[in-house]
Amino acid sequence: MRTRNSRWDIFGLVWAAIFAGVFVVGLCWLLWWGAYFSVSTRQYAWLLLMFWSVFLFWQAFPLFIAGFGAPFEFHALLRFPLRFSTFYIIGLAYGLADFAAVCGTCWLVSIAVGVGMARSSLLPAVALAIALFIWMNITLERLLSSWLERLLARRRTRELLFGLFILLSVSAQFIRPAIMHYSEGAHGSIQLQRLVSYLSPFPPSLAGSAIIAAGEGHSLQFLGSVGGLFAYIAILSALLWRRFAAQFRGEELSETSGSVRVAANLSSVPLERKSDPLGFLSPPVAAVLTKEFKYLGRNGFVLISLLMPPLLVLLFSSQFAGKHPSITHTRITADSFFPGMMGYLILMLMTPAYNCFAYESKGIRNYYTAPIRFRDVLLAKNLMYAVILIFEIAISMTLLSIRIGLPSTPVFAATLLALVFAVTGQFAIADWVSLSFPRKLEYGSMRGQRGSGVSIWIAFGVQILLGGICTVLLLAGRWTQNPWLPAEAFAGLAAASLAGYFAALDALSRVAEKKKEVLIETLSK
Amino acid sequence: MSEPAILTENLTRNFGALTAVDGINLSVTAGQFFGFLGPNGAGKSTTIKMLTGLLAPTSGRVRLLGVDFAADPVAVKRQIGVVPEGMGLFERLTGVEYLNFVGQMYGLDRETSKRRSDELLHFMQLDDRPKSVIADYSHGMQKKLALAAAVIHGPRILFLDEPFEGVDALAAGALKALLARMTERGVTIFLTSHVLEIVERLCSHVAIIHKGRLVAQGSLDELRAGISSDDSTPRTLEQIFLSIVGHGGATRSQLEELSWLT
Repeated sequence: MRTRNSRWDIFGLVWAAIFAGVFVVGLCWLLWWGAYFSVSTRQYAWLLLMFWSVFLFWQAFPLFIAGFGAPFEFHALLRFPLRFSTFYIIGLAYGLADFAAVCGTCWLVSIAVGVGMARSSLLPAVALAIALFIWMNITLERLLSSWLERLLARRRTRELLFGLFILLSVSAQFIRPAIMHYSEGAHGSIQLQRLVSYLSPFPPSLAGSAIIAAGEGHSLQFLGSVGGLFAYIAILSALLWRRFAAQFRGEELSETSGSVRVAANLSSVPLERKSDPLGFLSPPVAAVLTKEFKYLGRNGFVLISLLMPPLLVLLFSSQFAGKHPSITHTRITADSFFPGMMGYLILMLMTPAYNCFAYESKGIRNYYTAPIRFRDVLLAKNLMYAVILIFEIAISMTLLSIRIGLPSTPVFAATLLALVFAVTGQFAIADWVSLSFPRKLEYGSMRGQRGSGVSIWIAFGVQILLGGICTVLLLAGRWTQNPWLPAEAFAGLAAASLAGYFAALDALSRVAEKKKEVLIETLSK
Repeated sequence: MSEPAILTENLTRNFGALTAVDGINLSVTAGQFFGFLGPNGAGKSTTIKMLTGLLAPTSGRVRLLGVDFAADPVAVKRQIGVVPEGMGLFERLTGVEYLNFVGQMYGLDRETSKRRSDELLHFMQLDDRPKSVIADYSHGMQKKLALAAAVIHGPRILFLDEPFEGVDALAAGALKALLARMTERGVTIFLTSHVLEIVERLCSHVAIIHKGRLVAQGSLDELRAGISSDDSTPRTLEQIFLSIVGHGGATRSQLEELSWLT
């Protein structure tokens, strides 16, 4: 069974690798051409933009999609008689195993080839600048991620970072309007080129400037830019040295530290005096649901991912809809935008349900030794996702109603019923996938976390299929001039999927019994 | 005669070509403190997993308290408590949260679960760190918590896989007293341990498994009688164990191969 799961996992990974490969190679080609064009025509601003793009991807991608990175398990290294310098180099080398690092390196090499083909005399200069830029990027990425893991390991700092994250996300929405305001209607590329000119002291601009200076024969400026890159590397390396030194001394990342006040408040309230909000549920379902929410509340990365959907809905509404959309310039109606955004929310929020045992670890055995039917566990887990969805959808709906207004009643009703259909329809499939293709994720850890390749592809396929059905039904209302037709159709589908879901729970319990050895073994590793 | 608390019939488990447990027939009377022994890889944990529902047997039958496990697993599980190999705790809950969770999973109402959790945490001397999540507990503390979780619902059979491993002497003394008291009240305890002195002191009956087969079963006196024939023959459980499963110690020639170490 394990071998079969691994085969499916590899199959999923191969497909992911093909898509990633197309993405990386496509951009390699684009950047090669861009560098060649930029140097040939002496339009160097494009070169700076390319360096900035690679830099932002390299640093931001591991933070937001940390699934493919190689985790640096420094604790495992500490038992070996390593010198600190060796420990540091190993830690740094892990930075090259990151997906973003592989992409960034490929793209930078493509830029170097493009520049070299345009003017071969620039090759030594571009090789030096790019080597330094890669070194700087690896050091910075290791520094950021190790600090983030350190900070997010503690509850108090995690709460502070949430606040900061929200502020940053909201602030980021004002960047584009600010650029629009100060650029006085200039073309987008010209706006970006102007923006880059303000960023000249930063590493991507320095790397680009070094190549430009070499191309123009300005030796002093070249040396200045290269020296600037060296200075960044020195400063970042010193900071990373300090961080790794703490790890080398055996730093312990503890969940408990910084949580005194929160926990003390909880423990000071006698449980008996509190009313039981889950009293309507059976004790096992209530127990699993409580446990799920406690795990959720203590997992910073999952909580961050819950903040994203409403923020992105807000962002999209400012870009594409509302009274003054900044990208389309033509307002998309609430009747079209509202269902689209709700579909987007489902797409984002349902994905974790396809690996719902990811954080159970050895605790999974509790579900098999306790006198319960496994349907209770699945029901509790699905209930948690449903509560999250309702909460997130309610927030997003409120934001949308303020930004663009609510859609017409038939579309509103159809969208809500479509949500019920899409969510309950997915729960049964997601539960089956979670039982059949489990993948352990490290709780609260940022790096080296990814779901099973197969579960990712099944989730993707199911969501595309359900999204397609919903789109066709929503459009059917327009084609037939019957605005209530989609709502009626979705009401039927929602009722069917709800009935199907509850009917499937017993079958899923049998699947859980059948798959228990794989599940326990996979999650207990 | 009443049905044994634990009864297995030709219990077998294969992992591919490997037969980890080979047709064992165990019989444990209610109220016995039963030690299940065997060298590493003999099949002890596999047997316990099959007895507690964590692993399905390839063939054979398990009956606990007269109920066929396969026929009514929920009814059987309601009557048993388990400290599995590796403990299986939810490490991001605090001790009290975990015990409440387990209590509710066994059908206790919230109030009873909370009261018993507090009492057990106090008994196990784990109540001085109410804010710590289990991941921050020492190994011994986790073991004590796993034991507390195994007894919170008042089981009639308790399966303990290496329960004293990593537990300090003070706590071990208290735990042994608790377990002895439970057997006095009719609870059946099925225990595996590599520390034969503990088994000898606590258990009234023992079974020994070797290479997946049950090679001995009975009271300690019966085992001693089976082995002993004159004054020079082995008497302690360790000697009985070694005489049954064979001498596992390193030979002089094997030690000489490691001369660089000594």
